[in-house]
Amino acid sequence: MLNILFFTPLVLFFLAVILGFFGILFHKEQVSRLSWWLFLGGTAILTAYLAARGVVAGRIPLSNQFEFATAFAWGIAVMLIAVQTRAKAEWIRVAAMPMTFLVLSYAALQPREITELMPALKSAWFALHIGSAVFSYASFVLAGCAGVRYLLISRKDHTAGQLVQIDYLSYRMVALGFLLLTVVILSGAIWAEQAWSAFWTWDPKETWALITWILYAIYLHLRLRKKLSGKVMAWMVVIYVPVVLFTFVGVNTLLPGLHSYG
Amino acid sequence: MKQKILKFLRSMTFGMILLGLIVACSLAGSLIAQGKEVMWYVKTYPGWYGILLKLGLNNVFYSWYFLVLMVLLCLNLTLCSLVRIRRVYRAAKNAVPNAAKRTTDIPLSPEKLAEFCAYLEDRRFRKTEIGDAVVYSKNSLGWYGSFLTHLAILLTVLFGAATLYLPQVMDETCLPGETLVMADGTEIAVDSFHIEDAQGNLDYASKIHVTLPDGRSSGIQEIRVNHPFGFGGYKIYQQTYGTAGAVTVRDKATGAEDPFTLTENCFLSADGRNGVWFEALYPDYSRDESGNFTLISQTSGRYSNPVYQILIASDGVQTPVLAFPGETVTVGGLEYTFEAPVEYPGLRIKQTPVIVNILLCGAFCLMILGLWFCFFGSPALVTVRPDGCAIGGPKPQGTRMELAALLEDGIQEKEEEKC
Repeated sequence: MLNILFFTPLVLFFLAVILGFFGILFHKEQVSRLSWWLFLGGTAILTAYLAARGVVAGRIPLSNQFEFATAFAWGIAVMLIAVQTRAKAEWIRVAAMPMTFLVLSYAALQPREITELMPALKSAWFALHIGSAVFSYASFVLAGCAGVRYLLISRKDHTAGQLVQIDYLSYRMVALGFLLLTVVILSGAIWAEQAWSAFWTWDPKETWALITWILYAIYLHLRLRKKLSGKVMAWMVVIYVPVVLFTFVGVNTLLPGLHSYG
Repeated sequence: MKQKILKFLRSMTFGMILLGLIVACSLAGSLIAQGKEVMWYVKTYPGWYGILLKLGLNNVFYSWYFLVLMVLLCLNLTLCSLVRIRRVYRAAKNAVPNAAKRTTDIPLSPEKLAEFCAYLEDRRFRKTEIGDAVVYSKNSLGWYGSFLTHLAILLTVLFGAATLYLPQVMDETCLPGETLVMADGTEIAVDSFHIEDAQGNLDYASKIHVTLPDGRSSGIQEIRVNHPFGFGGYKIYQQTYGTAGAVTVRDKATGAEDPFTLTENCFLSADGRNGVWFEALYPDYSRDESGNFTLISQTSGRYSNPVYQILIASDGVQTPVLAFPGETVTVGGLEYTFEAPVEYPGLRIKQTPVIVNILLCGAFCLMILGLWFCFFGSPALVTVRPDGCAIGGPKPQGTRMELAALLEDGIQEKEEEKC
């Protein structure tokens, strides 16, 4: 049953991406709408899957690569829906839906069995630390998607108002992601003091989280103080997405450390 | 010249350069294994270990240049915060009077203007009337967001360094029933330790009690991963664990008994010639059909089928033997009874001023608050006059977007004209 709940959203997201692509290519509004409904359905089932897994495991399902990647895909989907609803930014779907599908596909490649929560993860900080990471990374990915959209349409004859909206949304997503990443790092530091006796140990995961934080801090400074916007900023948020993904996937697989169980 | 240097030291450009260099060092520090033996680098990086070691890339985060970068970052943050606080205070104080002086740059019809004013009041903007202008303002504390954030980063670096360098940390293993005595006379006794709880789940919990030199006692406390215990300036962490062999030696002639814990290779003997060599304790084993043993050396929890690997030394002849808990070996007039293994904790004992930790956590809270003010509580100022409005504040774009969404036109067109 759990497997069905997991693979159904994967299939729905795939169909949503394909239909969304055709909808844009052939300017078929109805196909695009169907794609969006499939995506919404996929998100709802994925929510149910995470809830069910949490009930079966008796804990928040965020304790390994599979669970985090699934929650990450869910985070992107939920934030995409929120952005779409609140900011009426339909254009962001084009890049964000494939990202959701890709992240969930990565999750599908990981071992899915439910394991006991290891003692190191039994902490009050667990939910805050990892939950913030899910939404922080999702915000950065959506900012990157907005950046892609900006770069694509800035070549064509689009109204400057649209570009300003995309640019601003991208900044807002970075701001939210940055705040949440700060929560991730600081809550992680307090947790580390409880678990390992030191707030900071220069573990590869910590170091890469700091690198990501500094890179986005540079983005925010350039934007807010130097008043830079437009293409340069769009390129930055796009280029930073692989850094975020490396912090999530690459560090765990390539750079062993205290977070290797994650 | 002095002014120029000072200006550069407090500039954002300098801050960005420092952050870039910190990123570069962090990259090196995460990609190159840190703190290994010199020979490890010689073997792993045969082509360029010389330059790697010369540049201190084997210990980047404790190198002199990384320390210099952090000091310069602190200097940059201090100087820019000092300049910023005056500027921010002035801007916050004069925000509304200055906004009242703004001329209208977004013309609006009276109906749209009324709709907009109602919207602002609905969004809890504060209304101030100055002359013919009405200034709607919100989030006045947001002026201090950037200052608070930078101050918090500075405090985090300073207190973080203090938590890194001030504490005295000791890693000790202690068998249940034994006591560790600290330099000041404080005694830390381990009463018991278990790897798994009653349900067989991994637990790693120790029961300890601490007695201070003045006689005050903590009483029995349980520590486990994520749940350290602090008492009398000491903080005790459940850090690692181990499993040791246990053997009771009985003198057949006198009946005297002595229990031993086997944590390392040792020779138990009365005459130094006949006795038992303890070689290793294995957590598990498997046995094939022909009776051959395969010893398993790795386990994550309790030793499920422990087995002792020993050598029985008798008159110069050594015989390798496997002994199981409960078994007795007799050699040289002594009886060696192998017991169930003993689980013991590895404790990390930290002596640290608690105030530094509290201050650091305070800096963390301040940083979150500052960032919230920066991004989500940013001051918004809208000046309304009979012919239209002007949008001000440090980040007017958000309010402009809201207004554009509200009115659907007007602002958007204005933006396009500006672009």
